[in-house]
Amino acid sequence: MGLMLIAAVALPLVGAALSWWLRRNWIGVASAAGSFAALAVLPLGRGDGWWHAVDLAWAPSIHLDFSLSVDGVSWPLALLTALLGLLCCVHNAHKGASSTLTALLLAVQAASIAVFLSDNLILFFIAFEAVLLPMWAIVYRYGDEATRRHAAAKFALFTVTGSLLMATGLFVAVADTGTADLGEIIATGGVSADASLLVFTLLAAGFAVKAPLWPLHSWLPDAHTAAPTVGSVLLAGVLLKLGTYGLIRVAGGLAPHGAADAAPVLAILAAIGIIVASLVCLRLGELKRLIAYSSVGHMGFVVLAFATGTEAGVRAALFANLAHGLVTPLLFFLAGAVKDRAHTGRLVDLGGLRLAAPALAGLLGFAAFASLGLPGLAGFWGEAFTVYAAVERGGAWIALAAIAAFGAFLTAAYLLRMLRRVSHGPVAPAFEGLGAVSAIEFATWSPLVAAVLLLGLAPGPLLDLFATGVL
Amino acid sequence: MVSQPIDHAALLPLYLAAATAAVALFAGRLAKACTMIGLSISAGAAIWIGVGADRRTFAVGEWHSYIASDATMGLAALFALLTVLVAALSARAGAEYCFLLAASAAGGITLAGSGDLITLIVALETLTVPLYVLVTRPGRDGAEAGVTFLIASIASSATALMGAALLYAASGTVHFAGLATELAGAHPGLVAAGVALLLGGLAFKLAAAPLHAWAPLVLERAPLPIATYLASASKLGGAVAITWVVYFGLAPQAGLPAGIVLAALSVASIAVGNVAALVQRRTVSLLAWSGIAHAGYVLAPLAALATAAGRGAPDAAASAALAYAVFFVLLEAGAFAALTAVRPDTETETATATATAEKGRTPEPLLSRGDLSAPDLKVNAGTLRSSTELSHPRATIESGGPQGSDLKASAGNITELAGLFRTAPLPATVFLIAVVGLSGLPPALAGTFAKIVILEFLASSAVWLAIIVAAGAIVGLAYYLPLARTVLLGRGTPTPKARFTIAVAVIGLVLLAIGLAPQTVLEFTRISQ
Repeated sequence: MGLMLIAAVALPLVGAALSWWLRRNWIGVASAAGSFAALAVLPLGRGDGWWHAVDLAWAPSIHLDFSLSVDGVSWPLALLTALLGLLCCVHNAHKGASSTLTALLLAVQAASIAVFLSDNLILFFIAFEAVLLPMWAIVYRYGDEATRRHAAAKFALFTVTGSLLMATGLFVAVADTGTADLGEIIATGGVSADASLLVFTLLAAGFAVKAPLWPLHSWLPDAHTAAPTVGSVLLAGVLLKLGTYGLIRVAGGLAPHGAADAAPVLAILAAIGIIVASLVCLRLGELKRLIAYSSVGHMGFVVLAFATGTEAGVRAALFANLAHGLVTPLLFFLAGAVKDRAHTGRLVDLGGLRLAAPALAGLLGFAAFASLGLPGLAGFWGEAFTVYAAVERGGAWIALAAIAAFGAFLTAAYLLRMLRRVSHGPVAPAFEGLGAVSAIEFATWSPLVAAVLLLGLAPGPLLDLFATGVL
Repeated sequence: MVSQPIDHAALLPLYLAAATAAVALFAGRLAKACTMIGLSISAGAAIWIGVGADRRTFAVGEWHSYIASDATMGLAALFALLTVLVAALSARAGAEYCFLLAASAAGGITLAGSGDLITLIVALETLTVPLYVLVTRPGRDGAEAGVTFLIASIASSATALMGAALLYAASGTVHFAGLATELAGAHPGLVAAGVALLLGGLAFKLAAAPLHAWAPLVLERAPLPIATYLASASKLGGAVAITWVVYFGLAPQAGLPAGIVLAALSVASIAVGNVAALVQRRTVSLLAWSGIAHAGYVLAPLAALATAAGRGAPDAAASAALAYAVFFVLLEAGAFAALTAVRPDTETETATATATAEKGRTPEPLLSRGDLSAPDLKVNAGTLRSSTELSHPRATIESGGPQGSDLKASAGNITELAGLFRTAPLPATVFLIAVVGLSGLPPALAGTFAKIVILEFLASSAVWLAIIVAAGAIVGLAYYLPLARTVLLGRGTPTPKARFTIAVAVIGLVLLAIGLAPQTVLEFTRISQ
């Protein structure tokens, strides 16, 4: 099974090199599928704690080992990454887009999977940094003509700031514990009490940029809006998850005391983020930007749930995280499809999608309802449990729970407003003669739709899986 | 007088380098080949001696003036090999040119093995003096660069010597091992002054602030192969000199003053280098200013001696500084080698350029005038390439000045590298690896490891310094990324055929190799007493 772990990281890399070299998109699709398959078989023969691990020495004098392992927390996220990578490659091949873009997507996928699977802090840092340049190139090279340069530069600078803060925190932890083995540090209860708050502050600041947590989110709407559809999908579905995964697994695991001390600050920032993002979304006039900003709110829920520090809270955070990784990419795929057809994303120019393309409008409605947390769809459980976990803490946390609940209400308001503008009303000129949804498009979206339904109807198995994880 | 046996085996790399210099002087047309072969053999000898047991020679009691350990011989081999690379990159390497280069390499090899202040300073001078001649291109600009380098170098040598003299006065010895013990009861003011002057003077070689101002000007105007040498071997010399002095000599008894001086130098270099690099529009200037920032990163681990935790682990500090220096000079060598390969043949062009530029104009106003706008620059870049064959009247009229000035202004602008990845893939790839590596990002892992090495050490000793280094790296991305972007995605006119394919490929492979196997560098730079 160790080979499967390596294959999950190596296949996309090889695929990236080959699809770029030979200019063939199908090589990218094949390697992404291979990576997905390698990850899909990992639960075979699993136990509690770490399922499988590989550990190869690389540079012992800087504590760097090529060590990958997988457990109930990292596996769903790695699988989600591989799935989204595969769907993006299929989308790309279908659109006949450049094979260089496919190669960059695969590079992002490989590095992100390495982040999720990494069991060595130095390797974690390298993989975290490795995401930056390909993603920057996707935004810069294939983004929206008007805004891509600015958005890409902002993305790069914010991200590198975050990752270097995070790196400093990681190295302080390594210096404090004398090892860079993530599992070992978590098992021994994290860094010493003196260093705990410093480590957590540095790590949390770094991951908060990536997550993003208000007020460090301003790169996100720009980057998402400027990025091509596949770029937005990966940004929302994968890159944001790096931040929250890091916060929950690495920051929380390395510095549990610091996390407990800093929890009120995180929780208040998260609650402000939920409200601010919802209010901003109510006024936004551009489809992709609206979906992008909604991520800030959803990630606020994840951080708030993590900040409660209870078992229910952490599980809610992981669940909301994964649900967002399914719902928001679906929304971006659909928004991309709408924008491709209408050649505009401005809400005032849209309308009547329900009449022009019923299937597309139906899917958009489905995704929007999943995002606003309709019971029975994936978005519901994470946010409901977040409010529950906050109430459970009692005291001032109840106020935060109330704010979060109000934020969920606002989320419903802005998503319904978006649906009213896009789907309802008379058919806008931009939607005249709209192309039908093709079979390949359906095929690309259906796994996400299915997963959203599955998680919404049966959240139990996933929650149980999280409970087996090493935290 | 008592004579003592000299361990000639330990000195073998030095003998070979010196012999290479002597042979090259009389080898005529074979000088370049002689230099490359001779220095390669010298590097091989250094590695062979390094692999064997440590050797010491020139003893005064317990103290030795020349030490051949793993680290010193590894660095000696690196000096020799970087010089081989520079020789390989030189298109018209005459006998004197090769002689001077080999002599400088001999200085570097001695420097690596030096065990006392006198040997160190003499070695550093041997490394530097040949460069006075080599940096000077014919013409007014070249002379200006040469004189700048000469004055800065002499001033800093005098400063360093003064510092060494004060330390000698305080301790009664110049041996590092002697300083390590004898400084114990010395007058603290004298020691502090000596340390500040000595380190300040040595920092010149590394182009660390405040003695950095020569670097952009000299690198810009020196021939590119020599700029490669200045940016790699010569800077390695500065890094090694400071590391040896601090680790072997000062750390035990004068760690605090040394740490404070180095912290000031380091923070100043990081700030000055990064901020100035942000506004550079010329490739070499950008690399030169960012090199100043990197000098700050090299010094940062040693600066941690200012803290108690740092003084507790001087060997880790010195190892981190050396490892960063080695990664850094290899990346710089890669960047400059790639630039040399794609820059049009400099010698003929210089002749034309200087001949016309001489007509009563100083270069500075022309520089600023050439930088007015991007389209202008593109026209100018086009002019440059055709200028050796025929003049280009339209472009001359558009940019509104004598052709020579345009040449001066546009040659070497970053925009000239636009689209290089399409027109010259190999040098462009090496350049990209080097630039991305200097910014510390994967996939150029060599640079990432370099950053990890110093951040990891600083996180355990001086977190505030780690955050300053991290902030510097963030600013660095703001200028490295556009540079990489220009090379990768820009659209430019085809450049002349790239030269020096083998040399560029070799340094590219070296960068890839240390990216995949950083342990090779980390092993030999790990020092312990």
